[in-house]
Amino acid sequence: MRALYQDCLALWRARSLLWMMARREIAARHAGSAAGMAWAYIQPMLTVAAYYLVFDVVFAMRLGENAPTRAVGAFLIVGALPWMAFCDAISRGMSSLIDSGGVLQKNPLPPVLFPARAVLASMAIHLPLIALVAIAYFPMHHFSVAVLALPLLFLAQLLLCGVLAYLLAILAAAVRDTLQVVTFFISVGIFLSPVLFPVTMFPEAWRWALWINPMSSLVMGYQSVLLSGIWPGAGVWGGIAVWLGVGAWVLDRLIARSRETLVDWL
Amino acid sequence: MSAKSSVDTAACGQVVLHAEGVGKGYKLYDSPRERLKALVTGRACHRSHWALADVSFELHRGQCMGLIGDNGAGKSTLLKLVAGTLQPTTGTISRNGRVTAILELGAGFHPEFSGRENLYFAGALIGISEREMAALEASIIDFAELEHAIDRPVKTYSSGMVVRLAFALVTAVEPDVLIIDEALAVGDQHFQKKCIERIANFRSMGCTILFCSHSLYHIQQLCDVALWLDGGRPRAFGPTERVLASYEAHVRSLDGPGDTGEQGDGGAAEPASASQTPTSADRRAGISEVVVAGLEASPPVGEVPVLEGNDLAVTVTAYVNADEQPSIGVMLEQLNGVGITSVTTHADGAAPVRLADGRWRATVTFPDLPLHTGDYVVSAYLFDSRGIVVYEEWQDCVRFRFVYPTKTPGLVRLPHRWS
Repeated sequence: MRALYQDCLALWRARSLLWMMARREIAARHAGSAAGMAWAYIQPMLTVAAYYLVFDVVFAMRLGENAPTRAVGAFLIVGALPWMAFCDAISRGMSSLIDSGGVLQKNPLPPVLFPARAVLASMAIHLPLIALVAIAYFPMHHFSVAVLALPLLFLAQLLLCGVLAYLLAILAAAVRDTLQVVTFFISVGIFLSPVLFPVTMFPEAWRWALWINPMSSLVMGYQSVLLSGIWPGAGVWGGIAVWLGVGAWVLDRLIARSRETLVDWL
Repeated sequence: MSAKSSVDTAACGQVVLHAEGVGKGYKLYDSPRERLKALVTGRACHRSHWALADVSFELHRGQCMGLIGDNGAGKSTLLKLVAGTLQPTTGTISRNGRVTAILELGAGFHPEFSGRENLYFAGALIGISEREMAALEASIIDFAELEHAIDRPVKTYSSGMVVRLAFALVTAVEPDVLIIDEALAVGDQHFQKKCIERIANFRSMGCTILFCSHSLYHIQQLCDVALWLDGGRPRAFGPTERVLASYEAHVRSLDGPGDTGEQGDGGAAEPASASQTPTSADRRAGISEVVVAGLEASPPVGEVPVLEGNDLAVTVTAYVNADEQPSIGVMLEQLNGVGITSVTTHADGAAPVRLADGRWRATVTFPDLPLHTGDYVVSAYLFDSRGIVVYEEWQDCVRFRFVYPTKTPGLVRLPHRWS
């Protein structure tokens, strides 16, 4: 894990630069548009509204006895927000190295700054939305301490996104096909997750497929905190730990093998 | 005369840049699939292309190194390695102090943001913190001459404005090592002069400079030592004059013997004198006339006019808009491009005289021209007062034939003595 450790160290040393780059990235995403920052929030809200229309109004989906909640709308919002934050962070983080090739070739900067910046910016944009939902649900669970798990889940998601985005960014630099594959996964991934329907509605024999999606355990964690007011179970933390561990190991190998030539590929 | 300082005193200073056996190999993969395989398995399945191999040098505080070589010799790769944007495959580079690279200016700017916002961001990329930038901001904007445009989005800037802002930014903090890649061609003449003055100022403050240019004139003027790269390998390293001399010989051998240059076909008669009036209004300085006295008035078609008399007198007239005294240079070459001599007013301590219309004129006379019979070419140059900025050069502007009435072969009649 030496390569990964070195990059973490570089990131820490450049933390003030990273913070500035993230702030600027947030400003740059909607620079030149009339609605500006509002777009960052209009899009997720409209998407959730569309899901609600399809699943609750048209399909009249009911969540079943074992679901964390009966309200389909609430269920969708709690699952979809972290999922959209994940998609945004991954897709932007993945192309971050390719997009900043010019800057990297002219300035002696550690490449890890760029995926980290993209992930940080995406998560920072979605943080207020998740916080808003938390504030709305906190009183409904008699101020349960489970809400303290929320910052942990958010931090875990930030780490997971960072690891995966950097990993995919290196792969994308080496083979541009990565962009196609991951974009496809992001568009169908929501069906391989407990975002639109609870795990209990998933056929037992196929439930293993949910673990292909790195966000499944995190989404379940958010749901148990926000919908049931219960501290997430060991399965949730275990799932996150496995994904983080495997991701970090693969990332370490990729960094070590690409360190010298990464900038040449951009 | 020039910005050159003594090599001896500089060599006593502290080592700020040390390269030891530096090489850069690019891994070439036949396809992206091969690259993926290498990444996944960790096995090597590439061919190596060595853009640079086995380069070692040591630069002391205040020294200036020129980097010369043909296209593709590895000059830019070496500059990027020293700047730290590329990692060397072999060898080590150690730097001491702040390194600033003027590679491609304006690469980090975002077109939607204003010049001021971009300053803060691009400044952070090169290690200028927000607090430092607040102190430097005014002087940067002043140097870039963008007081009126600084709060406009960069996308509304002309390319010259972008480059001016970028140059002012990267040179805002005095570096210990400055890396310049052909950046002396920045903006208009007025700004170019400011850039060169700033660089020369860094130089005199003891900044170490690594400078890559195709302009051998600039290399000669600015650099103490030169490194000639050929096919990625160092071919010569040492005092500038020696390296330049062997490089020039190499270039001539590439051009091939007997080649008299672009205009050497002798198809049309060359004018005995060339003249031009300044047409474009934005030209701040230029040569307006070069006259060689005593040339045959109407030479036969296709022939070079013969110099009548034994003295060669070249008169150059030039204009400079700024209120400064320029320097005028004249070079004498054989028709096939072999240099014989070059003289400049600033080197000789002479001064052009001001004419009534504000132009400047200087005449150089070579009494009893000590040449053998042959065809010769005169080129004229206009510099700033210190001979660093080349305002204009008229290469090969007048040709003449000199006839020396003995048949002994040779080029120059050197002073000699028999005993």
